[in-house]
Amino acid sequence: MLNKFKFYLWLILVMPISISAQDKFTLSGKITDQHSNETLIGVNIIFPELQTGTITNEYGFYSITLNKGSYNFQISYLGFNSISENIIIDKNQTLNFKLTESTETLEEIVITENVEKLNIRKPQMSVNSLSINTIKQMPVVLGEVDIIKSITLLPGVSNAGEGSSGFNVRGGAVDQNLILLDEATIFNSSHLFGLFSVFNPDAIKDLKLYKGGIPAKYGGRVSSVLDIYQKEGNSNEFHMNGGIGIVSSRLLAEGPIVKEKGSFLLGGRSSYAHLFFPLFDLDSKAYFYDLNTKLSYNINENNNIYLSGYFGRDVFNISDSFENTYGNTVINFRWNHLYSDKLFSNLSLIYSDYYYGLALNFVEFDWKSGIKNFNLKYDLKHYISSNFKLEYGINSLYLTFNPGEITPTTETSGINPYNLIKKYAFENAVYVDAEHEINSKMAISYGLRLSSFQRLGQSELNMYKNNDAVSFNEELGIYEKGQVIGINSYDRSDVIASFLNLEPRLALAYKINETSSVKASYNRMSQYLHLLSNTSSPTPLDVWAPSGKYIKPQLLDQVALGYFKTFKDSKYSVEVETFYKDIQNRIDYIDGANLIANDAIEQVILNGKARAYGLEVLFKKNEGQLTGWIAYTLSKSEQQTQGRTAAESGINNGNWYNTPYDKTHDLSITSNYNLNAHWNFSSNFIFQSGQPTTFPNGQYEYNGINIPNYESRNSSRLTTYHRLDLSANYNPNPKSTKRWQGQWVFGIYNVYGRKNASSITFRENRDTGSNEASRLALFGVIPSLSYNFKF
Amino acid sequence: MSVLLLQTSCEDVIELNLNTAEPKLVIEASINWLKENCGSEQIIKLSLSAPYFDNQVPPANGAIVTITDQNDKTYNFMEDGVTGFYKNINFNPVINHIYNLQIIYNGEIYVGSETFKSVVSIDYIEQNNNAGFTGKDIEIKAYYTDPADENNFYFFEFDSNTPIPASLSIYEDKYTNGNQIFGYYSDEDLNVGDKIKIRNYGISERFYNYLFILLQQNNDGSGGPFETQPASVRGNCVNQTNPENFPLGYFRLSEVAELIYTIQ
Repeated sequence: MLNKFKFYLWLILVMPISISAQDKFTLSGKITDQHSNETLIGVNIIFPELQTGTITNEYGFYSITLNKGSYNFQISYLGFNSISENIIIDKNQTLNFKLTESTETLEEIVITENVEKLNIRKPQMSVNSLSINTIKQMPVVLGEVDIIKSITLLPGVSNAGEGSSGFNVRGGAVDQNLILLDEATIFNSSHLFGLFSVFNPDAIKDLKLYKGGIPAKYGGRVSSVLDIYQKEGNSNEFHMNGGIGIVSSRLLAEGPIVKEKGSFLLGGRSSYAHLFFPLFDLDSKAYFYDLNTKLSYNINENNNIYLSGYFGRDVFNISDSFENTYGNTVINFRWNHLYSDKLFSNLSLIYSDYYYGLALNFVEFDWKSGIKNFNLKYDLKHYISSNFKLEYGINSLYLTFNPGEITPTTETSGINPYNLIKKYAFENAVYVDAEHEINSKMAISYGLRLSSFQRLGQSELNMYKNNDAVSFNEELGIYEKGQVIGINSYDRSDVIASFLNLEPRLALAYKINETSSVKASYNRMSQYLHLLSNTSSPTPLDVWAPSGKYIKPQLLDQVALGYFKTFKDSKYSVEVETFYKDIQNRIDYIDGANLIANDAIEQVILNGKARAYGLEVLFKKNEGQLTGWIAYTLSKSEQQTQGRTAAESGINNGNWYNTPYDKTHDLSITSNYNLNAHWNFSSNFIFQSGQPTTFPNGQYEYNGINIPNYESRNSSRLTTYHRLDLSANYNPNPKSTKRWQGQWVFGIYNVYGRKNASSITFRENRDTGSNEASRLALFGVIPSLSYNFKF
Repeated sequence: MSVLLLQTSCEDVIELNLNTAEPKLVIEASINWLKENCGSEQIIKLSLSAPYFDNQVPPANGAIVTITDQNDKTYNFMEDGVTGFYKNINFNPVINHIYNLQIIYNGEIYVGSETFKSVVSIDYIEQNNNAGFTGKDIEIKAYYTDPADENNFYFFEFDSNTPIPASLSIYEDKYTNGNQIFGYYSDEDLNVGDKIKIRNYGISERFYNYLFILLQQNNDGSGGPFETQPASVRGNCVNQTNPENFPLGYFRLSEVAELIYTIQ
């Protein structure tokens, strides 16, 4: 450990010295969309003679420092016309570029070669970027474009099954993904139990998914980072776009507040499937809605401010006896400031929360729970030279947890008011990350994040005999709640438990030749929050619990190794990666743990461990009428909770067992065929190993009912999952110069009607009295139709 | 949304090959003392676990079954033929006394220990005909008054004289301590004139925890995305001779409040 430190210290201290400042000048600026003035993320600026270049950051800013001279440079971005110019570098200068959208994307992509070369050289691996245009072309369930559904088509990404919330990355759990919307943490990414994600595709500009080699800028979750940026809104002219579908509709308006200076964006979505309920004689509703807003203002060359917000809710209502409401809220203020043409900064002040409410009129009480967080982030990006960049910053989070409040709703209610103990925590981090091109063959990035977590005082905290919140009953061979020997009371300013973790990050890239490279990475990460979920997939009701006296933070070590190659002038590319992950302190639940309204959750959980390893292959065709990819993942994801002493059995007898999201084989084939200006076709094919599950290995009778007796955890699997989806986009008037542009989207989900089991349940048939296994297939063949428009 | 699910989702019974574990002894030692009864006649049921799709489970015959009270008095339970039902007619129930169960079966000794728990009476019944998610079910609330000065656990059984299976539910007084509260029952197939046997058993916290897990296993939705991890549930009896071959079931002693209600 100490040696590792010395190595880092050496890198940080020694390397920048080699950079001299003489006869060097900086070119910097912003790159935007000509039409909307929207800043563009990830645009390549390349100097082919120098074999160097840079890309725009999340706010469209770039900076590069070069020796004095005259050079050719190229600016290229997928879907936009490239710029190729000559420039004389003899002073520091600011150059802003506006790119025009390429109208005929077929023949337009000219300079992709250099883009890929650059990517081959960058040390960052295990990252997938998807442009919103790519996502919008994929067929999805019910004809709705969906970000989370789309990323599950990438290698290493899956979800627990149809109708399940969230997504799993490289054998990690759903709660181990850091999901950021305009830098703000989103706690629940799903609407309607995973049928939709909470992100309105019209409001999204760009997204990046980090599966490994995660930069030091990010922390707090151990599995992945999904970094999503919303559009700023068109600051040139007013536009609207929207879509009308069979399940939901959306509308988005954007326009200037001050021309070319300030813009607004306001988008909304709602599903209206509940309108059909009365046909079924059910007095029930189930729908969602969400709103995205953003205000952007460019104060001057060096200062930009943004105010953005998100509000989403799901509502279930059953004949007035039951109403369930839940969702995320985000409010976010950001200030971009340029200290110099080499030093970019962003300050974010963020509030985000997740709310869950239940009104149970038939038993006369209300239930509320949730998590709130206040977040301050200050991130700086320092473009020291063309081959050395430094990112550093701080991140401070104040969290409050409301595990549940029960309020009687009537005078006659037999329920007493009850508040579960609220919990508070403070999470802080500082980081520094360097990206260093050592020579034309070798690039390295290395960083260090120091994170701390303080669990603050709460009104009551149980003390247990022998400090054991869970005790093992040796005689009966079962885990039981620990014996409470006292209750401590704390002030909010007290620190009950405190953790400090050093998280080194390292990534290396070695260019073998112009078209291929190898990369390697290591990252350690810590996670202080845990989503309490005892089911095979999280539910909206699940609450987040902070680490503390009895729950330890999760610690991850991940190594990944990759080989990257492009063929035929980057028409094709292949990425092969392997990874190994090891997670300490993954929480696990004792048999029959009751998590709902549990005020002493530590009494039903144990700290175990988890591991995952696998091989990912991504083959892409980037150009031509037919584009798409084949993604295949071979992996294993397991967890284990051994007894703390030799006498204890542990969970599942202390043996490793498959996590519910272990998918041995996972294949997706995504393709898009652009027939002509009118028609565009796309398809997905998915083939996956069945989800691990637990089947009975016997039955018995107790108190007049049949009880299934189960085998060890997750030792069987549901049947293999596979499915084909097709969709067609029809543009009636592609050459139309009118403002109004419309597009029809026809889709078929599950074309050949595969009955994929989303669960297999075991039950006693009420009529015959004998046991049976029943398969639930959620989606049959689902045709869909929607109309999208913009003006 | 759900309307689409109703249209496209499909549930069907499938053939499935399951693993089969070795049979285990299942102990249903439920000592019930109905209020205003002497409680001297008691039956213990012993059976074996069976492959999941078998139509019945076999009885466990030829066991030696005894219960010893805390005054060292032993009650012998004799098997009624080869039914797996073991009977004693001189049992002496005492609230809050500890009882020990011993079973010798197939040369292995199984033991368990539990306290006799009391229960309050059922105060009255309330019936509502517009209940449930559809507003068409008949619901019954059996009210009782929880004693405020202790932690109580309840096991409710609603058993109708129709083919509808008995409904079992458990309650603790964490959120209802000292209140008049109810055991809840509703079923879409209930009709006017049906007779319901309502029983409220006084139980220990350990039995509450046991049944909490057991009822989850039996739940129709088990294995679904919103259900807890299924498991083999251990009760309060152990196999002293061969601990690996642990028994299933439970040894429980309860006072019982019973009421027969006719649906109006």
